[in-house]
Formats: sequence, structure tokens, C-alpha cells
Amino acid sequence: MSKELRSNFHEQLAEISAGIARMGAGVTELVPRATQILLDGDLEAAEYVILGDDEYDAKAVEFEERCFKVIALQAPVASDLRSLVSAIKIIADIERSADLCVNICKAARRIYSHDLDPSLRGVIQKMGNQAQLLFKESTEAYLNLDSPRAAALHDMDSYLDDLQRQFIQVIFESHAAGTIDLQVAVQLAVVARFYERIGDHAVNVGDRVRYIVDGWVPEHPHAESDNDPPEIVDSVIVPVDQG
Amino acid sequence: MPVVVVLFAGVVIGLAIGVVLARRSNDDTRGFRRRQVASKEPMGEALSAAGNDAGRALGLQSAVDRLEIGVVMCDASLKTVYRNEAADALTGTHAGVIVDSHLQQLFTETQSGERAGRIVELQGPPKTTFSIDAIPIPNGGAVATIDDISDRVRIDSMRTDFVANISHELKTPVGAIAVLAEMLADETDKTVINTLSSRVVEESHRAARTIDDLLKLSRIELSHRLDDEVDLTAVVGEAVARGRMAADGHQVQVEMVDAADRLWIRADRAQLISAIGNLVENAVKYSDDGSLVQVRIRRNERWLEVMVVDQGVGIPAADLDRVFERFYRVDKARARQNGGTGLGLAIVRHVANNHGGAVSVQSQEGEGSTFTFRLPARLLGPCPEADELADQIGVQPASGRPAVATESSLPQKVSVSDG
Repeated sequence: MSKELRSNFHEQLAEISAGIARMGAGVTELVPRATQILLDGDLEAAEYVILGDDEYDAKAVEFEERCFKVIALQAPVASDLRSLVSAIKIIADIERSADLCVNICKAARRIYSHDLDPSLRGVIQKMGNQAQLLFKESTEAYLNLDSPRAAALHDMDSYLDDLQRQFIQVIFESHAAGTIDLQVAVQLAVVARFYERIGDHAVNVGDRVRYIVDGWVPEHPHAESDNDPPEIVDSVIVPVDQG
Repeated sequence: MPVVVVLFAGVVIGLAIGVVLARRSNDDTRGFRRRQVASKEPMGEALSAAGNDAGRALGLQSAVDRLEIGVVMCDASLKTVYRNEAADALTGTHAGVIVDSHLQQLFTETQSGERAGRIVELQGPPKTTFSIDAIPIPNGGAVATIDDISDRVRIDSMRTDFVANISHELKTPVGAIAVLAEMLADETDKTVINTLSSRVVEESHRAARTIDDLLKLSRIELSHRLDDEVDLTAVVGEAVARGRMAADGHQVQVEMVDAADRLWIRADRAQLISAIGNLVENAVKYSDDGSLVQVRIRRNERWLEVMVVDQGVGIPAADLDRVFERFYRVDKARARQNGGTGLGLAIVRHVANNHGGAVSVQSQEGEGSTFTFRLPARLLGPCPEADELADQIGVQPASGRPAVATESSLPQKVSVSDG
């Protein structure tokens, strides 16, 4: 009897982590889609992504609920407890990243009909690729509970931060050269921030994977500096983080 | 053991259906179809034997594992009970997670006794398309096939685009000529007649260029005569010289980096000239004023590589794997304005293929592109006669080899000025 209960419990855990992996994989696909939408000015696809976000929100609530229920009813300990508590946090990170992809699509709507010069397009593509790579790595690290892979995310994120600095620089140059107006420049600066945040969420997921696997907790100063936006941005952007 | 037997009976049914599916949806990749059909016969025999021969079942498993197509089976409670190696290769990746979630939905749909299928597109890179089909098994459960149809999708779109593009490329100038001619007929003003007729000439040249390039392309497709002795360095040098002339108009600097010694290869001279010329010309065309185009020859044990590096507008990532298609244009307006026919890179690719090589591109928008034209090193031939000639700088080579003679004085000039 008790053995049956226990296997039921592990099934629930497996279902939760499979559901979260599915959300993560979904966002991994969403990032390049948002990038393509931004570059092509594809309004129809943008609408599609924006409407699709409700599904992520609903899934996030559903799986969070399930985590609470398992914690309350099964009183898990040790790695089971670690993976459930982490799941709740990871869900939030994934859900937020999906929102950020939606924000990129909304930005695509706002800059529609404005042409971007090749250097801007190039750096957008690069940021999109790197953000997707980060998210793919974090999803797969979670899926395989691969802690070394998760640990590598910090370095990948610092490259994304470099790209953001570069992006801001290119925006200044293009604006100075008169190829984009102020409105577009501001939108793009915000887009740069969105990509940078997606990278940070991926790093958070990675940190949580390490916590699940070997109980690793980030040292505080380190964790903070990682999530700080690059300095140049502070003077340029007001925080825009509302979905 | 009976479980294994039942399982494989199911797999066999799945396979048979997989074959039917592959036949139904697959008309163009013939090699693939042949493989599928070939595997059908032993399977059919095995179907009757599988019921009483467990050893056979194990043999079947290794057979199914070797299929390129992914096969996944679930039992009556929709739990996955078997995946072959191709399907298992996706496990642990984000693509695998997405395919699995579609599989689960399809398995649920088959509960109604109907087969279910869908196409799943993944953004990549590289962009991948899977066709997933699930078929219910009579005594509960279902079997699904996962087929990577990315190549097929790409070839299909290439074919439809080609037909649309070729009619467009030829219709545009012909239509323009018709309109211009109509206007000419009613015109009396001399200056207007002059402009109109020069436009007619321009448009007819454009149509002629397109047709010329098409003919060139089809000639290259057919030709396999690779018996000229060609000095690759000289061909590249000539292309650079021509690129410089084209670049004069808009301030692009073309240079040859680390000009190598002569590299005698067996190849089709005319084809090489047009391929490398096209690459350099393209680089110049898509460069901004004041930027640099670099051409370099590299050589290792396997390949001879000609790299053309520019700092131009670059190619968007989404278009990168399509630029070698006939008539494919990244920016339609700009390309026509530059006077290109849209066939240049297709010609380059065919020439590379003809010589057993390949052409590839790396590019970043706003930063430039690097085209690498690659020939197998086995084309290199020791050419003692030519080496002798190389010693006599400035002297015309023997008349027995007129093809080489015309260009052999050029590389010296180039390598001296750039080396």
C-alpha cells in the first residue's frame, strides 16, 4: 500500500518536471520566433505570439498549484523537496521569459514600417541567438539535471551582456547618423534589455538546477553582480519590466 | 517474453504503416523510398514468424533501430513502451521535449480509433520540420513515426519559388519593353524617343543577361569535363583584377592576401573563372564605399580554399542557407538595381559541385560576409612543364597550352603589388 503511494508520488514529481521542461522548450522556440518577427516586421505572427502567452500563464499557475499540493500532501524531504521548491522558482523564471518574448513582439509592432540598418539587424540577430542558446542550455540542463552544464550559463550570459552594450552603442551610432529616429532608438534600447533579462532568467534556472543536483547556493555578491544590468544601460533606460 | 513479442508485433505493424506513409508523402527523394521498400520484404515474412520466435523479435528490434525514421510505441494506457534509436536520439534535447508533447497529444487522439498526424516546425537553428503520424494498434495502444522532412520541405519550396521567379525575371523586362515600345510608337519628341529607346535597349540587355546565365548554368550542370590545367592563383588574380575595375566606380578596395605560389589543378578553366569572378564581383557589389574586400587562397591536405571576405551589408540569418538557390534574392529591390540576374551564386555552387568541392558562406548583417569556395586537394597535379614556365617570368608559355598562356603573366603582377 505504502509502496504504491510512494510510486504515485514519484509519478507526480515526474509529471511536474516534464511539464516544466515543456514550458522551457516552448520558450526556447519562442525566443527565435520573436527575433524573426522583430526583424521581418511580421505583425500577424506577433499577434499570434501575444495571444499565445495566456497559455504560458495558465500553465505556470497550474504547475505551481501542483507543486504546492505535493508539498502539502506528501511532505517531501531532501532532493525531492529541493526539486519542488526549485520548480516553483523555475516556473516563475520561464513564465517571465515568455512575457519578455511577448514584449519583443509588442516592440516589433511599435517600430513597424521603420527600416533598420544592417548593423542593427545584425546585432539583434546575435542577441536573439545568444538568448535562445542560453535558454536552450538551461532547459536541457534542467531536463537532464546536468549541473556542470548549468554552471556554464554564467559565462554565456556575460557574452549576452557584452552584446547588449554593443547593441546600445550601435543604436547611438545609427541615431547619430540619422537612420533611425528617437522613438525607434528607445524601443530598440528596451528590446536590448528584454534579451538581457531573458539571459538572466536562464541563468537563474541554471542556478536552480545546480541547487537541485548538489545543493549549491549562489554566493550573494556574485549572484547580485550577475543580475545587474551593464552600467551603460542605467543612464539610458527606465526599467520597463511590466508584461 | 510474451511482452516483447506483442511489442514487436506492434512495431512491425507500425513499420508497415510507416512504409505506406513514407510512400504516400514522399515522391521526390527516391533513394529514401527505395530504402523503405527494401526493408519491407523481410518485415512481411517476420510478421508471421514474430508470434512464435522471440529471437526473431530481437532481430527485428535491431532492424527497427537502424531505421532513419523515428518509431515510438505506446501501450493502452498511453505510456511510451518503446522508442527506436532514431527517436531516442532526440531525448534530452528541447526538440525532443516538444516532439514528445505532440506525440502524447497524438496518442490521445488515436484513442478514437482514427489515425492522427501533424507537422511540427522548430525554429532551430537549423530550422527543422518533423512530420509525426500516429496510428492506433487494434488491441490497444498506438505506434507513431517521426520523420524529419526538413530537406523535403526545403526542396519543395525551392522548386515552387524557382518557377515563380523565372517567369518573373523574364516577364519583367519583356513587359517593360512592350510598354516602352507602345509609348515610342506615339512619340514625336526626339529627346523622349532617345530616352525611351535607350530604356528598351537596357531592358532587352537585362533579359539577355538572364537567359545567358540560365544557359551557362545548364551547361555547367551538364558538363563534367575537368581536364584543363589551370593555375588557381592566376584565376584568382584575374578575378581580383576584374573586381578592382568594377570597384573603381564606388571606392571599394580589393586586395589579395598572402598571394600563394602557383597552384596547378585539373579543372574546367572557364567554370572556375566565372565562379571566382562571381564571388569577387558580388563582394564588391554589396560593399559600402571605402570598405575592403579581401581574397585569400588557403591550402591544407584535403582542400584548396578560396575565401572572399567583405565588410558589406551581410546576409540575414534567415536567408543564409538559401542564397545559393537560383533566383533567390535577399533584398529584391537592391539586387535588381545592382544589375544582377540572381543566378551568380547558383553558378558558383554548381561549379564547386562539379569539381567535387563545395561553397559555403558565413555572414553577419552589418558586418559582412565570407564566402569559401572549396576544391578537393586531389585536383592538384604536379605540373613540371608549368614549373619550368614559371621560372621564365614574363615569357609566354608554350603554345601547346594556350588556355594557360593568356593569364600566366597576370598573377605575377598581382602578387607583387599585394604580396
